[in-house]
Amino acid sequence: MTQPPKQPDEAEWIDGLLDELAGTPLPDTPDDLMARVLGDGQALMPPPGGPRAPVPWWRQVVEGIGGWTAVGGLVAAAATGFVVGLGGLDDMGLSTPWVLGEEAYYDSLGTLDAFGWDMEEG
Amino acid sequence: MPLDTDPHTDDADLLARYAKGDGGAARVLTVRLTPYAYGQAVRLLGDRAEAEDVAQEAMLRLWRIAPDWRAGEARVTTWLYRVVANLCTDRLRKRGRASLPLDEVTEPQDPAPSAEARLQGQARMAALRAALADLPERQRIAVMMRHFEGASNPEIATALGISTEAVESLTARGKRALAAALKGQASALGYEEG
Repeated sequence: MTQPPKQPDEAEWIDGLLDELAGTPLPDTPDDLMARVLGDGQALMPPPGGPRAPVPWWRQVVEGIGGWTAVGGLVAAAATGFVVGLGGLDDMGLSTPWVLGEEAYYDSLGTLDAFGWDMEEG
Repeated sequence: MPLDTDPHTDDADLLARYAKGDGGAARVLTVRLTPYAYGQAVRLLGDRAEAEDVAQEAMLRLWRIAPDWRAGEARVTTWLYRVVANLCTDRLRKRGRASLPLDEVTEPQDPAPSAEARLQGQARMAALRAALADLPERQRIAVMMRHFEGASNPEIATALGISTEAVESLTARGKRALAAALKGQASALGYEEG
């Protein structure tokens, strides 16, 4: 019956174990692993010329809407809608002096035909 | 898959070409680095199926980092080595010390070893892998690079970003920690206590 080997000194023992692990024969790399890795690489490969610079969020919004022409139309439509909306306030009995202008407002009062001059001329 | 068709081009240059959409570079890097990652994972895990997963994951991380790779900061193989080592460590820690890998790749050197010797050999390697996984990262990398890759002190120093003098101390501490972790398992590992 064979006796197990005596445990060698610490450093020698660990070196021996590490060398044993280092010396284990390694299997060939499976072809399907190589194919999967290459497939991943091709799937993640940046476009020719390298990855594009990140697009700012506001440019993404503009492009999403349809470009600067579309943004111009949108702004014009919004402004028109705003004005039309203010006109609706008159129909509801609300005056809009702050929109129509102070001059028109004071003219509409009828008491001061020429604001400032009446006061000066007495 | 064909052999490395561009053996004279540096890994970092290939990675830069890949980042610019060069499919040929992807192929060369796959051929060159996958066996490297797989071999290291097999050695550390002792399980081929798990090693395949680790190698694929490590290469996936390489593809992802390619556009941001800074040439000259680290060697691609060193970076990959650390990624594989850390992925293997995570898996070894999940396994726990008690369980042994079912699919040991350690093939017997002797064509007809006894079943007992084979089992002891497997137990030795499994215990060593578990102990390696428990080492602090720098000690683990230093010990592995020294013993598995035959790396010199300056090479290890460059990989870890430390002085050459510190490498010797790091590997010595790593091996002392391994010895401490394996102490008490001597009989299970095929050695007589004492």
